[in-house]
Amino acid sequence: MFRVNGTLPTIVIVAGLALAGYALLMTALNRRMGIGLLAALGALEILLLVLVGVIVARLAGGERPAGIATLIGYLIAMPLVPVVAGFWGLLERSRWGPAVIAVAGLVAAVLMVRLHQVWPVIHA
Amino acid sequence: MPEHATAPEPATSQAASTRTGPGRVLVAIYALFALSATARASVQIATKFDNAPVAYLLSAFAGVVYILATVTLAAGSPAARRIAVISCSVELAGVLAVGAWSLADRATFPDATVWSGFGSGYGFVPLVLPVFGLLWLRYFRRRRP
Repeated sequence: MFRVNGTLPTIVIVAGLALAGYALLMTALNRRMGIGLLAALGALEILLLVLVGVIVARLAGGERPAGIATLIGYLIAMPLVPVVAGFWGLLERSRWGPAVIAVAGLVAAVLMVRLHQVWPVIHA
Repeated sequence: MPEHATAPEPATSQAASTRTGPGRVLVAIYALFALSATARASVQIATKFDNAPVAYLLSAFAGVVYILATVTLAAGSPAARRIAVISCSVELAGVLAVGAWSLADRATFPDATVWSGFGSGYGFVPLVLPVFGLLWLRYFRRRRP
């Protein structure tokens, strides 16, 4: 049911979960937002942009999933997750800033699984 | 000692609010559910409303409740906190009622809502979220009457 094929979706899921783990560690250690977390967040953002690029290329090639409206929603929402979480987390100068980033990492992983259910064509 | 205009700010300068501290995480998750429930319901109502009208209308209602809770928790004024308590209470009642209804009467729910099966499709976050919201708001009422 939750099987995910393809290298890129797997990398996105692993990256999201790794970011969540790293961020939760920072929360547990009572650390604020730092450059390390921002770099990890940036790496996830780059992966998501690559993913969006691959899917848009397939759409441009004429392929269409059944739920095109949902897919486009995901394509818009997914790259926004790390950006919005980054700003919202930076506003918080306590351990709860990294906790926001942890949520973003988990959300990215979940959205990746759901996106793959909407259109399981991404094998790149 | 003369008073300087740039005197160090008191320790309470980052005024505690329902949107700071753990509330920062709460608002983030509420915003996520506000967006996803509203967007999903909009797509469903626009493209296949006749499939499961009750489920889609309940999803849309859930989306509105989430939006209200997000905005009021982020605002944090006493009036906003009162509306937030109502939003979280409606949300908790909704997830319990719709959860039970969806299990008892599956014919009405051929397609899932956010609150179906007590939010099982969303990792039961819809069930846990209003509880944390209400606990957080209660903590604030005790600390800052």
